[in-house]
Amino acid sequence: MSDLAACWTAARWLIVTVAAGALLTAIVAAALVYMGSFDVAADKPHSEPVFWLMNTVRERSVAIRAADTTVPADLADAKRVASGAAQYDEMCSLCHLAPGMKRTEISRGLYPRAPELRRKSDLTPAEQFWVVKHGFKMTGMPAWGVTHNDKLLWDIVAFLQKLPELSPSEYQAIVKSAPKTHDEMMEDMGMDASRGDQ
Amino acid sequence: MRKWILSNLVFGALALASVHASFAVAHEEHHVECNETGMNAMHADIQAMDEGEAKTTATKEMKMAEDMMAKKDMKACADHMHNAVEAIEK
Repeated sequence: MSDLAACWTAARWLIVTVAAGALLTAIVAAALVYMGSFDVAADKPHSEPVFWLMNTVRERSVAIRAADTTVPADLADAKRVASGAAQYDEMCSLCHLAPGMKRTEISRGLYPRAPELRRKSDLTPAEQFWVVKHGFKMTGMPAWGVTHNDKLLWDIVAFLQKLPELSPSEYQAIVKSAPKTHDEMMEDMGMDASRGDQ
Repeated sequence: MRKWILSNLVFGALALASVHASFAVAHEEHHVECNETGMNAMHADIQAMDEGEAKTTATKEMKMAEDMMAKKDMKACADHMHNAVEAIEK
């Protein structure tokens, strides 16, 4: 047998072995799925390796997709921050809490837990915008971009830059100082806040 | 004699109920209970924490709470869970 023929035989065996391995893995995976082996209950946390994997997938996905986002230059504008505060109080605080706010039934039941945004965030403003706009699958984080325009979402991001330094009283004051309530802002967009219609 | 047995039974039941109530009431503000659901919820809370002193403390307290639960010392378990909650909510 020539060297070429021997090489070809070895390659064929390798291909068959890899294909058989892949098929076996797929069959085992399908069986595990069908048998309901993975517990989807939100009151049973992931093991540490799975938790790390899910977190890393989320972080990298956001980092890559938010990389080209242009951040508005006026994020520190007081009106913008106040507008974002009103929206945060209405849309976000139930899960992400606020200064002086105790954990809620929803925040304690979500899995993975919604991060407490009064603490320092590792996300850049561009990444925060991406997350607010698109949400996260299988976490309870909605895609606010479906019902809100980019301007309002950037207002929320503007407020998030300010949030970690606010005391409870400062938080309440800034929410009250908003030029419009959340529902008024929705009406301005031509949306009915109670139904989300356009 | 029957009366004595009956009164002892009632007294015993009341004592047991008060012990159970004390575990729940002591930690009512945090609503943590020393059982599997409570433990899982605490682990989920700890997973979400940033690395640091608070997370280390909460993790240690939860380990001690688990040890106490294994030894059926529910009072000590609840105390350690309470300490873990304090670290989480710091």
